[in-house]
Amino acid sequence: MTFALDPSLGIPVVYLVDDEDVVREALAWLLRSRRLLSEQFVSADSFLAWLAEHTAPTRPDWPASPACLVLDVRMPGTSGLGLFERLGQQGLLPVLPVIFLTGHGDVPTAVAAVKRGAFDFVEKPFSNNALVDRIELALQASGRELAAWRAARVHARALAELTEREREVMGRVVAGRANKLIADELGISVRTVEVHRARIFEKMNVSSAVALSNLLRDAAEHGAAAHGAGGRDAG
Amino acid sequence: MTVAAVLPQPTLAPRKLRRALLWALLLLLLGVAQTMLLMLTLRYEATRALDETEQVASEAAGEVRADLLRAEQQLQALSWTPGPDGAWRLPAAELLKTRRELRRVERRDNALAVLEVLDSPYPPRPFAQMPRSALSLDADIACASARRAAAPMFSRSYFVPTAQGIGQELVDLCVPVLVAGREQGFLVGSFALPPLLDAALSARQARRHELSFVEGDGARLARAGPMRGADVYRAERIVDLPGAPLLLRANSTSGQPSLIPNLATALVLGLSMALFAVVLLLARDVRRRARAEQALAEALAFRQAMENSLVTGLRARDLAGVITYVNPAFCSMVGYSLQELTASVPPYWPPEHLEAYQRRHAARMQGQVAVARDATEAREGFETVFMRQGGERFPVMVYEAPLVDGQGRHTGWMSTVVDLSAQRRVEDISRQQLDRLQATARLATVGEMASLLSHELNQPLAAIASYASGGVNLLAEPDADRHADTPGLLRQALERIAEQAERAGRVIKSVHDFVRRREQQHESLSAQVLLESVLPLARLQARKSGTRIELDLPPASDAALRVRCDRTMLEQVLLNLARNGIQAMETTTPLLQRVLTLRLRPAPPGRVAFSVIDAGSGVPPEVAERLFTPFFTTRAEGMGLGLSLCRTVIEQHGGTLEFGPGPQSQGSEFRFTLAEPHRAQSGDTAADPLAA
Repeated sequence: MTFALDPSLGIPVVYLVDDEDVVREALAWLLRSRRLLSEQFVSADSFLAWLAEHTAPTRPDWPASPACLVLDVRMPGTSGLGLFERLGQQGLLPVLPVIFLTGHGDVPTAVAAVKRGAFDFVEKPFSNNALVDRIELALQASGRELAAWRAARVHARALAELTEREREVMGRVVAGRANKLIADELGISVRTVEVHRARIFEKMNVSSAVALSNLLRDAAEHGAAAHGAGGRDAG
Repeated sequence: MTVAAVLPQPTLAPRKLRRALLWALLLLLLGVAQTMLLMLTLRYEATRALDETEQVASEAAGEVRADLLRAEQQLQALSWTPGPDGAWRLPAAELLKTRRELRRVERRDNALAVLEVLDSPYPPRPFAQMPRSALSLDADIACASARRAAAPMFSRSYFVPTAQGIGQELVDLCVPVLVAGREQGFLVGSFALPPLLDAALSARQARRHELSFVEGDGARLARAGPMRGADVYRAERIVDLPGAPLLLRANSTSGQPSLIPNLATALVLGLSMALFAVVLLLARDVRRRARAEQALAEALAFRQAMENSLVTGLRARDLAGVITYVNPAFCSMVGYSLQELTASVPPYWPPEHLEAYQRRHAARMQGQVAVARDATEAREGFETVFMRQGGERFPVMVYEAPLVDGQGRHTGWMSTVVDLSAQRRVEDISRQQLDRLQATARLATVGEMASLLSHELNQPLAAIASYASGGVNLLAEPDADRHADTPGLLRQALERIAEQAERAGRVIKSVHDFVRRREQQHESLSAQVLLESVLPLARLQARKSGTRIELDLPPASDAALRVRCDRTMLEQVLLNLARNGIQAMETTTPLLQRVLTLRLRPAPPGRVAFSVIDAGSGVPPEVAERLFTPFFTTRAEGMGLGLSLCRTVIEQHGGTLEFGPGPQSQGSEFRFTLAEPHRAQSGDTAADPLAA
């Protein structure tokens, strides 16, 4: 097993969406032989219904573990592509990488999908273990993204705990101002600035201004994802 | 032609007759006119001559009378001469001198006795031969009358012989001499008649007329004039003399008016009239001719325009087959000018068909007698191949009819030539489209079937592969990590594999069932019919490249070869092989050698061999290896399914499709055999492959 994933992120899950039972079940069985957990869906619609249930506003933390979606392009009802579009709208693609299963004629479609954010595509008939390798790569990517998400969420929560004055001080600290200067600007004593600064470091779980600055920059970068998740929650 | 020969006769004869009649009538009229002219001229001349004679007679009569009356007066004047008895002699002598006709003057007494005589001085002397007394009877009677009438009187004429045996006709005038109302005697003057007439005859008249005094019985008393009268035109007048009238006759010297000069005149006149008439006729004819010419020119121009506007080619040939006329459409059709076309061998005959065409032409020349039959043939026409200047062959429809001239002679052939290439092209295109459509439909069916099959088979195969890989995965796990459920999982995998393999088997079986159902449609049919049913389509494909297709059938005894097969499929196979053969010759083989042979032979035991032989460059070894591999093709547009499918079909029919070099090791031959019906029914379709 070359596959290594941080166990703290939880047990990875592979979602299989394919209308052909025989193929899907065989694939699930293969994943099981590689000790991977999978969930099967007979159609895109049933997966969407399941997803809506699990990403309800009351449960904002989905996915709770690294996940990957193996999706047949052609299916009755909503097609694989349609499902892919919906996931894209919900901003789930980073944490739920999509691997397309394509028939002979669907390669261009799949390539276009990859360009728009799908993780990969595999042409039928696929080489079984190669597909599983891909799935594991996707799960790793998902795990990384999930970890970043979680960190961003922690920092956001910490930022939310700062008082108004602490936020003012923090902005100036990150900007590289000296305590004295900050005290002058805010019309408070240097001592007070130092107290605020210590509290900010404690709340944000950092030890230096440079670390704080990095943290804020990372948070700003993941802010979009976090914001996307928020939007999903709202919807 | 018989119709043409018979029809003019009835129209020709009356026309000739009518024309002859017209000419005869014209000549008759001319003759009548000429004769009448002649007659009128003659009559006119006669009348004129008569008139003239009459006039001469009248004038002469008047003249004679006046002359005599004057003489009478002179004699009376003489009688009055006063003086002694001898006194009258002088004036009398004078009178005798001036008047030649007065021969003698006598004085007589009342008893008529001659008193004195005075003779004319001019000879001959009258009364020399016979005495006066013997001849004075007439004078006596006249004097007696004169006495009674108391006026001068003439006597009847009487003949007085003179010397030399001739004589003169004399007439006496007796003038009573009255002196103081008493008769004193008579003066008798004797007048000779000829001088009287001479005097009366003027110079002009003298040339043409003879004047004479005649008696009532026609006896001539005296005559004057240089010529004798012709006794044709005569006129008589009475010279009314007191006592004894004289009958004067004028006799024209001109005889009957002569015919020849009059005829000549009449002829000249008639001829000039005829000439005039002819000129009139000519002018009319010229006008009519000009009109006819104009009409002809218009008709010609019309015909020319018609010929030029035709898209159909027209060609006229003489009996030797040399072209005598072509219209522009024909020229543009073959691309040669008329000068180039008049060669003894038409340049538009494709060289490869030259012999056949010459044979056909010779046959036509020999068959001239059967013109009527040809006429019906011409309506049907025949199809043949011509060559354009560029060497391009094109099909034409030729309708040929005999050319018959005005005399009903057969002088050549007139042909209408219709270019069929456009029509053929359309036919080709539509046929090809149909072909392509059918091929597409078949391919679509094949494709559908293939995709269905691949889908149906893909699923179980993919599942089997998954289970197998998974099984390998499980077995590869180190023992230490082995989970408790591994054996269960493995069993499950193997069960699933078995299940899916069975499913794949079912799919294959259903395909087999389909093929078997198709086999039940096999029918028994004549091998030759099968071959011939392919011919039209094969010919169509062959035409574009100029390939000829030849059928090589077995001798007549084997003509009834029958095979049992799926007709549609076999037709496709034959067509496919033919098309391959044609395409193999398209580029490399010279035109003359492009022959595709379809051969049919019995292949004992109980089979029939079909061969498709081309004259191409053969099959190269590297191609031969993969010839029947599906999706292998040497052509850009090919699917590579043709030969592969052909082989499949033939194998389904229990035969094999083989190929090898053609006869004379040129080109290639594709060959397969089919079972004859009774063998096929015995049920060994698959077990007995080709036995050759």
